[in-house]
Amino acid sequence: MIAENTQTQMRKGILEYCVLLIISRGEIYASDIIAELKSAKLLVVEGTLYPLLTRLKNNGLLSYNWVESTSGPPRKYYLLTAEGKAILSQLDHTWQELAYAIDTSKTNLTNS
Amino acid sequence: MKKTLNINIGNSIVHIEEDAYEMLTIYLNEVKHHFSKNADDFEIVTDIENRIAEMFGEILTIQQKQAINIEDVKSVTAQMGSVKDFETSEESEGAEDPLAHIPPYDGVKKLYRDTDQAMVAGVCVGLGHYLNIEARWIRLAALISMFIGGSGVLAYLIMWIVIPKAESKSEKMTMRGEEPNLRGFANSHLNPLMKQSRGFIAEFFEFLGSFIQGAGKTLFKMIAVVIIIFGSLFLLFLIVAVAGLFGIWDSNVYSYFPVSMVNEDYLSSIVIAVFIVFAVPLLALVLFSVRVAFNGRAINKTLSFGLLIIWLGGVVVSIFYIAKITTEFKESAELAQVTPLVAHKTILLTVDKTRFFSKEDSINYKIESYNKNGRRILNHSGPFDEPRNVSLRIEESENGKSELVRNYRAQGKTFEAALKQAQNIRYEFVQKDSLLNFSSRLQLTKKASWRNQEVDLMLKVPVGTHLKISRDLAWFLNGYNYWDCNYDGTAEFTEWIMTHTGLKCLNERKDSDNE
Repeated sequence: MIAENTQTQMRKGILEYCVLLIISRGEIYASDIIAELKSAKLLVVEGTLYPLLTRLKNNGLLSYNWVESTSGPPRKYYLLTAEGKAILSQLDHTWQELAYAIDTSKTNLTNS
Repeated sequence: MKKTLNINIGNSIVHIEEDAYEMLTIYLNEVKHHFSKNADDFEIVTDIENRIAEMFGEILTIQQKQAINIEDVKSVTAQMGSVKDFETSEESEGAEDPLAHIPPYDGVKKLYRDTDQAMVAGVCVGLGHYLNIEARWIRLAALISMFIGGSGVLAYLIMWIVIPKAESKSEKMTMRGEEPNLRGFANSHLNPLMKQSRGFIAEFFEFLGSFIQGAGKTLFKMIAVVIIIFGSLFLLFLIVAVAGLFGIWDSNVYSYFPVSMVNEDYLSSIVIAVFIVFAVPLLALVLFSVRVAFNGRAINKTLSFGLLIIWLGGVVVSIFYIAKITTEFKESAELAQVTPLVAHKTILLTVDKTRFFSKEDSINYKIESYNKNGRRILNHSGPFDEPRNVSLRIEESENGKSELVRNYRAQGKTFEAALKQAQNIRYEFVQKDSLLNFSSRLQLTKKASWRNQEVDLMLKVPVGTHLKISRDLAWFLNGYNYWDCNYDGTAEFTEWIMTHTGLKCLNERKDSDNE
């Protein structure tokens, strides 16, 4: 139970970072983000992505364009805003710190 | 074969099988309620719906089919993830982003109409929830206000229009002051996806319909009870009347007009037949009303068929006798009787008022002893007025003598029968010096039925005879307008004189002078 909880929390934090990373590569459609996240084995169901995207958008990190689709209704294509890019670089920095922290923790553990 | 529905999801029209639609509705409701805590719920749900629509579109093109079935919905919702999946992945989100959540529930109630517990439109119950008062007190107050100038009705109608109906589970919970949470939604997943508020008017008519149905039932029952009461009374009256016709109280009943038409020989049969003709439908009506009023089964088939047969029998017998009696009016016969009168210069014509008969009269005037069992009086004291059967004409006498001609007329099946009926008529008058006293009615021998018996009296007097005609006789007078001679109707007698051109009124000039 505790393990599960920690896993969820870790995933959650990383999920947001990953979503921003994927979008930073260029304008992208929500279901494509999902496909990438799925291949990265980070996301199980699509439903969780939509609230996340909406929240990021409302916080000014993302914006979207409506793009006509050949099949079905027009799609929302997400892209990073300047603010989003700034935050992403911050997150990059944080991630490096975290990676370092984990690496160090792991090495220290094995060393001792 | 399955029924399909057309739904508009994410701005595209999708054919969907009914069970699949239900499943999708449940799923989307769950999703909606889950995100309703989120400030951006509308956007999120729209995104999800759009995505579902897209997936449906893909499924339809890839699998080359027309409609979404339940398996497709299952796979799509599995891909989208259930509410449980959302919960586990969002557990900590609230802490991260407090702005994304609606402020914690503050216990504020909202005023809604509670249509679940409504008497009419749920206004009183809703107010009760809001004010934390038992609905019955508010209803009582509303009822009382209805009688005080009817202001309550208007207030009620306004509140009906203004206050929204608590439709979703969360609205119902807010109305009761409970915190709307997921547990409360557990049973509510069959709520329609979109609010199907039909508006006040539609609701009003729906209410009116159900009200009329209910009130109509009550009204029918009330009518039924009224029919039972009056029908029973009328039935009782019929029975009493029949008993009366059989002479239980009053043996004179046969001389009353409508009954006197019937030959005594078959009076009992016809009375029973007519009784059946009227009483059976009445009884059936009462029994049917009993059934309506008390939801009981008052008549079984055997009884109703029995009643029908009895009624038809009654109808047949009645028609038979009515036809038989009608034929007895086919021929008419006349019989004249001439009586010479003692001539007087002035003749006083009166009606024998004392012979407006009663039992006491018949004893007083010794009619009983004089024609006991032989005669009876055709009088006017029955419940129906008999057609007038005495008429009087006054004419000039050709031979200079006064005489009274009595023309007896009657009808019968044959001329002989009619003549016999005419012979059965007896009409009395008395001459006492110059006074000529006429009886006001015919006498018939007993057993004679009413066959339109009439007597035409013809009084022949020589020219120059003065006649004083009593006011009461006016009713019998033929050929002269008595009231021309008695303008104000106060004079007891009017004076006439016989001339070659007929009777002439002597009062006329005097009266016109007065005017």
